[in-house]
Amino acid sequence: MSSLASARLKRSIALHLFLTPLALIWLFPLWMMVVFSTMPDNGIFSPGIELLPHGNFIDNFNNLQRDTDFVGAIVISVCVAVTYTFLSVMLTSMAGWALARYQFVGKGVVVAIILGTITLPYAVVLIPQFIMVARDFKLANTWVALIVPPLFNSLGVLFMRQSFSMMPDDLFDAARVEGVKEWRIYVFIALPLARPMLAALCIILFLASWNNYLWPLLINSQPGSMTAPVALGTLIGLTKVSWGGIMAGAVMLTVPMLIVFVLLQRHFIAGIAAGAVK
Amino acid sequence: MRNRNATAYRFLTPYLLIFAIFWVWPIISSFMISFQATRTVPWRFAPGFNWGRLIGDPAFFNALKNTLLILVIQVPAMIALAMLMAVLLNSPLLKARGLYRFAFFAPVVVGEVAYSAVFRLMFSLDFGIVNKLLNSIGLPKIDWFSNVTPAMALIMIAVTWRWAGYNAIILLAGMQSIPEDVYEAATLDRVSKLKQFFYITLPLLKPVIVFCAVLSIIGTMQLFTEPFLITERGGPGGGTETLGLLLYRQGFRSLNFGYASAVAYTMAGLAIAITLVQLWLTREPK
Amino acid sequence: MANVTLTNVAKRFGAFEVVHGANIDIRDGEFVVFVGPSGCGKSTLLRMIAGLEDISGGEIAIGGKVVNDVEPADRGIAMVFQSYALYPHMSVEQNLSFGLRMTGNPKADTDRRVKRAAEILRISELMERRPKKLSGGQRQRVAIGRAIVREPQVFLFDEPLSNLDAELRVQMRVEISRLHKELGTTMIYVTHDQTEAMTLADRIVVLRAGHVEQIGRPLDLYDNPDNIFVAGFVGSPRMNFIKAHIAGRDAKGVLVELAGEEKTRIVQPLAGPAPETGSTVIVGVRPEHFGGAGEGDADLTVAIDVVEHLGGTSFLYARTAHGEDVVIQRDAARVPQTSEVTVSIRKSYLFDEKGLRLR
Repeated sequence: MSSLASARLKRSIALHLFLTPLALIWLFPLWMMVVFSTMPDNGIFSPGIELLPHGNFIDNFNNLQRDTDFVGAIVISVCVAVTYTFLSVMLTSMAGWALARYQFVGKGVVVAIILGTITLPYAVVLIPQFIMVARDFKLANTWVALIVPPLFNSLGVLFMRQSFSMMPDDLFDAARVEGVKEWRIYVFIALPLARPMLAALCIILFLASWNNYLWPLLINSQPGSMTAPVALGTLIGLTKVSWGGIMAGAVMLTVPMLIVFVLLQRHFIAGIAAGAVK
Repeated sequence: MRNRNATAYRFLTPYLLIFAIFWVWPIISSFMISFQATRTVPWRFAPGFNWGRLIGDPAFFNALKNTLLILVIQVPAMIALAMLMAVLLNSPLLKARGLYRFAFFAPVVVGEVAYSAVFRLMFSLDFGIVNKLLNSIGLPKIDWFSNVTPAMALIMIAVTWRWAGYNAIILLAGMQSIPEDVYEAATLDRVSKLKQFFYITLPLLKPVIVFCAVLSIIGTMQLFTEPFLITERGGPGGGTETLGLLLYRQGFRSLNFGYASAVAYTMAGLAIAITLVQLWLTREPK
Repeated sequence: MANVTLTNVAKRFGAFEVVHGANIDIRDGEFVVFVGPSGCGKSTLLRMIAGLEDISGGEIAIGGKVVNDVEPADRGIAMVFQSYALYPHMSVEQNLSFGLRMTGNPKADTDRRVKRAAEILRISELMERRPKKLSGGQRQRVAIGRAIVREPQVFLFDEPLSNLDAELRVQMRVEISRLHKELGTTMIYVTHDQTEAMTLADRIVVLRAGHVEQIGRPLDLYDNPDNIFVAGFVGSPRMNFIKAHIAGRDAKGVLVELAGEEKTRIVQPLAGPAPETGSTVIVGVRPEHFGGAGEGDADLTVAIDVVEHLGGTSFLYARTAHGEDVVIQRDAARVPQTSEVTVSIRKSYLFDEKGLRLR
């Protein structure tokens, strides 16, 4: 073996020796979530060290369902996330298209506003938003309240603007010369070409809605209108509650997303990494 | 490109409408509310009421101190860790890259509630797996929830676990956009890998690092769920109460919207200051 | 079928003017090429005719109708883009028919037009393929086909051949010429390549920095350039420019003496007013207008740096005694073996200091 190859081998071994324990530590909480969700409560609160799954998931789930209507909350979460994703993709891609492809009066101002809101804490709008939706519009504990206010999304618009502006001008000019209306150019040329980017955006938006906690906690606090994270959150800290049940709920919130993540990793990463390559 | 005002605004209208209703108006309204005494009916204009209370309120300074403490320790540590992850994941020597990527990136999809619950259970005093493992290697148990220092550490650990991979994804993408031939040229010039990192990767990645840092700072500044759920409403005794939690407590528990708005604007002020620092850091060299 | 008239057409981006009052009259059925170096405004001009750019000043009329405020689709034009601009997610057939389908053209008519365009361009067997599966030349045909389908009054081509390799470019050039003969439609063609301009055009419009420098038939531009820019731009290798001054004048014209070459004097007949004796002028000589010693007006001895053999002809890269570079075209058989050669100037052009032709 040449000295170059052996040096490479040593470096490679060192790399793996360092990275493997770190990776295991990182996976540990997720692993324990699964383990806890399969253990009876008296097993969770016992002195022994348990690192392998048991068979108690169904019982735990039944306990969870007894503590709160988790299935109902999941249904709400899914419907809200799907509707939100659909509407938000429409809104952000339309806005991104306009910003990428048209010259218009006030464009600079719109772009500046969108960039500005990225670094503006959500906390600033939280209270008036709540007062407006709950008191003025009387929409507390409705799906509309969960879906509409979070529709303003600056990173999504910037992502779509970036995607559309990377497409060659000639493509759209060719259609324009042929007399194709602007909205048809958008629907039949721009959107189909942006499919990978739209997929990435969909995933990121769905995840954001699925995991959203603070706003749903405030606006939809009535039992029967809560999203799944909120329903689960109400149990944390209660004294007479099944922790195995909470863990079963956590698994139900997390594992589907992990599966999607594994299947669509490329889109996921593209969506998150969009911030890096401006 | 032809000027197309009407077409452009037709595409923008739905988005701008949502923006006007749910952001522009609230930003203004929140500012006005912060000057009003909101615990009387009707609300009355009293400019000094909330802001005056703010500068004399120990709870506010406690929350501000905690928030800044987390900011100063957790954000740099996490960015450094994310950088390490990104560099190692980018190494051509790495085998089974997909598995490692899964390990570090998976927390990105985990919701705040789910992971808060797991962390709470893992770190509990007598039955938590972490203390059991510490015990089994001969270390003393740590009471993570009753003492301020371990409780703060726990919050930082939790946030770092959740977000390090997220930042690593962004940094990795940034690294991969640096052209390979720059490194090849450096290697031919006998520049060591370590020096390549400090003299090529870091300078070229600076805007991305700053972007990550700003996103993380803004996120951490509004930290709410972790102290709310893991350390039980900012416990022990307000020891992990953050500005986000104070705002929640004042606004939605005590229904003191005016005071909560003043807290919110303090956060906004901090955010603006940080953004200005970012702009200054990433300004184009003359 | 239509003529295209540009009257004082200007384009400004903010305070920056890129086209300064262009006046061009294109006759019905004519093939006109806009040529000039990059940044001369030729593409902007074409895009203004297409309606893809606003017109900042002046008027554009197609078929006698002013179209300044008419949408691109209603101007009776079709355009072929440099990048082909094929929709990557559609088949060739869908690419050809997209515009017609989107604007509600009856299906039977659309099918007929697509079929005809495919036959003209011999792409009928490619109809189901996606653009990605086509060669560069095939993509170019589809792009042209998409223009033909529109049955336009005017075809606009924006550097359509610049993405092709040299061999295909020649082939497509011939193809476009054939198409023009077959359809007889007005065509406006933009290129930076003077060879394309010379071979394709009925008339050439030479542009520089937003100004129309000269309009004329290819050989008119070659034989009779208005200024030093056109003289240099048309013809390959480019015309040689040698500094000189007026040594005297008589009834027929002026006597020009090349700088540093007291023996080399050229008599130039001038119709217009002659510059004063002693004033600086520039003499332009095309490489092919040098002859053997004694064959022309005046002789000139130059030192040879490099000889390029192209087969039938050769180019001598040489320097005058005064230090000016010149390129000389010679038959391969007549290339001297010496390091110096004496040539004669058989034909030359005279320009004043500002570059305007003196004649």
